[in-house]
Formats: sequence, structure tokens, C-alpha cells
Amino acid sequence: MSSDGEEEFEFEFEDDDEGFDPEADSAGESISDAEAFDIMSPTLEEPPEKKPYDVNYRVRTMQEIMDMQTKEVKKVQSLLEVPADTAATLLRYYAWNSEKLQEQFWNDPTAALVSAGLSPPSSPSTSTQPLPSPLASPRPFECPICCMDYTKEQTATQTLALGCGHRFCRGCWTEYVVGKITTEGESGRIQCMESGCSRIVRAEPIDELVTSDVSKKYHNLLNQAFVSDAPSLRWCPHPGCEHIIECSQAPQKMLNQLVPTVTCRCGNDLCFGCGYPASHRPVICRIVKLWEKKCADDSETANWLQANTKECTKCQSTIEKNGGCNHMTCKKCKWEFCWVCMGPWSEHGTAWYQCNRFDEKSGSDNRDHQAKSRQSLERYLHYFNRWANHEHSAKLDADFYKSTQKKMEQMQSSANMSWIEVQFAKQAVDTVIAARITLKWSYCMAFYLKRNNMTELFEDNQRDLERAVETLGYSLEQNIGDVGAIAKLRQEVTNQSAYVQKRHDILMDDTLRGYLEHRWEFTV
Amino acid sequence: MSDARLRRVQKEIRDCAKDKTSQISIEMIDENPFHLVGAFPGPPDTPYEGGYYEVDINIPETYPFQPVKMKFITKVYHPNVSSASGAICLDILKDAWSPVLTLKSTLISLQSLLNEPVPEDPQDAEVAKHYNSDRAGFISTAKHWAQAYAQAPVHKQQGGVTGGGGTKKVTDAEMAGLSEASVSQFVDMGFERPKVISVLKRMNYRGNNISNINENTVLEELFK
Ligand SMILES: [Zn+2]
Ligand SMILES: [Zn+2]
Ligand SMILES: [Zn+2]
Ligand SMILES: [Zn+2]
Repeated sequence: MSSDGEEEFEFEFEDDDEGFDPEADSAGESISDAEAFDIMSPTLEEPPEKKPYDVNYRVRTMQEIMDMQTKEVKKVQSLLEVPADTAATLLRYYAWNSEKLQEQFWNDPTAALVSAGLSPPSSPSTSTQPLPSPLASPRPFECPICCMDYTKEQTATQTLALGCGHRFCRGCWTEYVVGKITTEGESGRIQCMESGCSRIVRAEPIDELVTSDVSKKYHNLLNQAFVSDAPSLRWCPHPGCEHIIECSQAPQKMLNQLVPTVTCRCGNDLCFGCGYPASHRPVICRIVKLWEKKCADDSETANWLQANTKECTKCQSTIEKNGGCNHMTCKKCKWEFCWVCMGPWSEHGTAWYQCNRFDEKSGSDNRDHQAKSRQSLERYLHYFNRWANHEHSAKLDADFYKSTQKKMEQMQSSANMSWIEVQFAKQAVDTVIAARITLKWSYCMAFYLKRNNMTELFEDNQRDLERAVETLGYSLEQNIGDVGAIAKLRQEVTNQSAYVQKRHDILMDDTLRGYLEHRWEFTV
Repeated sequence: MSDARLRRVQKEIRDCAKDKTSQISIEMIDENPFHLVGAFPGPPDTPYEGGYYEVDINIPETYPFQPVKMKFITKVYHPNVSSASGAICLDILKDAWSPVLTLKSTLISLQSLLNEPVPEDPQDAEVAKHYNSDRAGFISTAKHWAQAYAQAPVHKQQGGVTGGGGTKKVTDAEMAGLSEASVSQFVDMGFERPKVISVLKRMNYRGNNISNINENTVLEELFK
């Protein structure tokens, strides 16, 4: 990690490309996968180049974060000529924005120090000595907190005042600080015990007052606070993962035109913008938040839609959905229909797969208020249904794949194929799942999208991808495990999977570029 | 450290007993030095003047590093005090607590809270609504409560309203800060009086606010 020295720990909060090597962490992990895929599907080129809507980022470990912090503190320490502890406290107060800190500090050092809870420059406490100010000692002293009396001599050794001069005994300081750290989880903002005094208790006296266990906890909390305070850092939200993503290209103000999806070293995606623990491309964070709130508010009305069983529209026998594919065939009467709209599958033929668009006109002749609110609910349900269905299908696809993995192992021996040759099925399932996640969010997008001549193109792309996904999903479900037809199946699935990938790229590319070109407007 | 806690609380009780000027009292209820009752007179020139307010004091294990727990025993009509439970919304009883604050200084802060309500951070939303929308009505209700629950003398508060030293009986409508006309308007329709009072109180059916409330909305609530 530290092989290339200084460059590696470049730490910038401004929009700045320097110091980032996108190949190093973000794409590096996936190269082996991509190579394996290339062998099987010659239509796919090398890993795609960086697109204008992609962000550079790095996956960091806690150790790297600590090193970054130290480096930043050292920089400020030498620039402002203050002790390290003071530099750290100042940086924390200015949310690690060292430019802003320097500006304020050079403008008015006293104000900068005092507002950060530090002693003004002349006070002895800005030096490394946090010990009693000479003015107050030595004379007998009663601690106002525990009401214990201290002799002149004891006052010098057993009591402590910060630069503000508020003196208390060390026992009380320790109990106070330990409580703040261990029960309240505080770190960088622990203040003097005096009522209304905002002087910060810095790391140096704290380390001296508490046991090494508490001191360790305190420094961990400081590090955690560093990650949550710095706008260019975010914890990976996936359970058990302790990595931190660093990205300076997705500040809050950019989130109206960027969807900064990143992949952590744990293998999972997340959104750097909002912390959503998966990709929510192509929808921007703000709309995702609205959608999630709406879904939570309307969950009761929408619940029935997620039910796992439906009746065949022809023979009324119950059909359970066991794969992600929406092309359903009733086991009893062989009737083929679409799971989403329950219409005959034949009508979803190649010419007009119309399952993605809500027909606004169908309800437009209803004029009264009740019909209108009913229509708005129906409109929401139309999109929600498709959103939820793709989420559900992606899960089923993953389960389905697990159950057929055994059969693939059999294939390996009976059809005399190499391990790499049977990977086509796994790759195809991965392709389907990724495409379904994008399709899922595309319905959230469509729900809020203001209609203009650009939205039609969006819906066409959505429909093309959806059709490609359903075709591939159907092939996977029908055929995996059929050892006899393995060569044909492999060819078919590989081709279909390459096509899905292509449609997926087209939809993503066009939609994400659309934000940069201000093509999308939302009705919220 | 529990020695320190006991030492400190005992000293606080002693010091408070010695101080005759502040009019704050802190007494033990039984043998337990960590469960006390504090009391102070209502501040002058407020609706609470002349009343005497008792406060339940619970001292946690972690005192004085964690704030003392206090709530009014005496019922108080005030935006920052729950009219039902006596719970208090005050910053120093929460995040703004400091270990140098004492039981006495906290009771003094409660006394000044009676003097200066903070309606933006209410404990009792109904009372806060009353305070914000109909100040004169609020003051008169708070006075009624002081007389009924805090032994505030009636003659001083009522001024010329009651003649000849006779005490006027305060109605349930007045205690709720509602006009008798509003209450009887709905009681006459056949609703039970306590229900009418509770609904009108919740809807802040008072003063100018009455014109903002549709009568049908009140009826809907009453039928619930
Ligand atoms: Zn002490
Ligand atoms: Zn201080
Ligand atoms: Zn991770
Ligand atoms: Zn996001």
C-alpha cells in the first residue's frame, strides 16, 4: 500500500484529480473477472474507459486513514506553527478543511483558536504543557465537584486546569472524561467541566488522565469522527466491512448530475453520495430518497403486489414464481403470460413489448377528484410494481443460480468441460442481476421523470434492456442442467448475455450523460 | 466515587439550609439522600406569583457527571412543563448540564424558567399553543392553576373581580383555559362535558383561533 510513498497518501478535499490512480483500486480487483469473461464472450472489449459521469475513488483501510490524518495535522502544524494537538483540534473544528482553517487563522488567530475551544495564543496552554496555570497555585483548594480539600502541595500535583483556568481535581476530570468517552461516545468535542465554558479537552491531557484501554477507545472515536466529518470520506455500509471510500469528485453540490456508484474492496457496491448500500444508478440520490420515503408511506397499499403467488389468468390454478423471469408458463394449462401485467406473453413479442410504460391516457377521461387520486395511486403502483418485481427477480435469480450450481459441476465432468468453460452460466446470471438492478431503478426514475421528447428515448432503452433481460432469464431458467444440449446452450446464453450487457451499457450511458447535458427534469 | 457523590449531596443540602436569602429549600423525604424534594416560591410578576412549587429530585449514580433528574410535583400550567406529568424541558437538565451545577442552581433555573418560558422548545404542546395564540387567556389559566394547586392566594390574583373576600369557584372550563360559552355550545348538543373540554383543549379552541376551526371538524373529533 505504501510502495509509492507520498503520492499514495495525497489528501485533498477540493475537486482535484491529483493523487488518484483510478486503475489502482477501483478497477484493479475486477480485472481478473473481466479477463475470464473476455475468453467466453469475444463481443466484450476490455474494461471500459473512464466515463465523464464516473468518479475516481480509492478504497482505504483504517491505517491509511490514520496516516492521512497525521499527515494533515503535520502540514497544518508547520504552516501555522502550533503544537500537533492544537492543529488537530483546529482541523476538527473546521471539518478538516485546511484551506478554510488557514484563511480564518491568518485573518484572526485568536478568534480561530477560541472558537475551536482552544486557548488564545498568549496563554500557556497552547504550548504542549496542559498543567496547572501558575496563577492559581499553589494554595489550598476545594474541588467544587467532589468537595474534597487539597493542600497547597496536593493542588500542584492532584488538580488540573485547562487554559481557561477552571480547576478541578484529577479524580473528577478522569471520571468525567471516561464517562464522555465510554458512555456518550464523545471524542473531539469534550468540553471543560465548568458550566458554559467551551474550552476543549485535548488529546494530550485525556491520554494522561485515562487508562490505556479508554485512551485507545478515544483515539478510535477520533478516527471515526474524522471519517464522518471529512466530506471526501465515507464508511463502507456493508456489514463486517471496515473499509473507507475516499472520493473528492462527488461533493454534495454535484449530486444533481452525478450518481457516484463505487465498488468497495469487500466486493459490494455503494453510493458514495448518500451511502445507499448498493448501486442506485441511473437515479440521482435526491430522487432515491423521495422514492424510498414514498414506498415506506405507501407500503401497505403496495404490499399485496409483492405476493409470491398469482393465479393463472386462464385456468386459475396457483402459480408460484420460482425464477426471476417474467415470462410465465402455467404448469397445468401451458398458458404463457407476463408476470407483471398478467397479459398474454404472445403480445409481448419482439414487435411491441409494452410492459414498461404507464399509459397516462387510459385514465385521463376520469375527471372527478376520486378518480384522479385513484389514478395517481395506480400510476404509482404501475412503477412500484415493476420496481419491486425487478428487485424480487434479482434475488430469485441469485437463489436459482445457487441451486443449479451443482448441476454445473456435473456438467463439468459429464460434458468434459473445463472449469472456465462452465463459468458462462455464472457470468450470465451476474449480468442478469446487474441489469435488473438498473432496470429496477429505471422505474423509480420514470416515475418522477417529467415527460418531454427525451423521455421517450429513455423508455425505449428501458424496454429494450428489459426484453433482453427477460429473454436471457428465460433461457437460463429453462435450460441449465440439460447436459445433452450444452454446447448449443452455451452459445445461446453467451450471445444473449453479451446483448444484455450491450443494452445495459446503452441505457446507463445515455441516462447518466443526460444529467450532465441537463436533459432530465423531475416532477416532485 | 459513590463516597464523593454522597459527600457532595450532603454538602449541597447543608449549604442550601444555611442560605436564607435564596428561598430555595431542599429536603430529604426519608433516609435516602438521593431522593429529595426541592421547593421555591413562584417568581413575582408572573401568573405563578404567590404559589409554592415542589419539585421531585432524583440523583443518579453518576451524579454530578450526569444531570440530576427533576420534575414538578406541583401542577404547573407552563409551555415547558408537562401539565399531566410535571416533566420539564430545560437544556441544563440534558446536554447543557455541567458537573459544577448544583441542586440549588438547578432549582433557581427552574424558577427563572417560570419567569421566561421557551415556547419554541415546548414540553406540553397544548399549553404552548395556548401561550402562543392567546396570551391573556394563558395567563389567566396559569393563575387559576397556581391558586388551585400551588396555594396562591385568590384575592391578590383576582383583583376586583371577586367582591367581599368571598372566593369564586373556578370552573373546569376555566382550568382548561376555555370559555364557558365554547364548552356549553357543544355540551348543549349532547356531548359529555369532560370529552368536550379535552377535545377543545387539544384543538386550541380559544380566542381568535376559534374562527380558524371549522365546527364540523370539532364535531368529527367529538364523535370519535
Ligand atoms: Zn474533585
Ligand atoms: Zn473552563
Ligand atoms: Zn466494503
Ligand atoms: Zn446515492
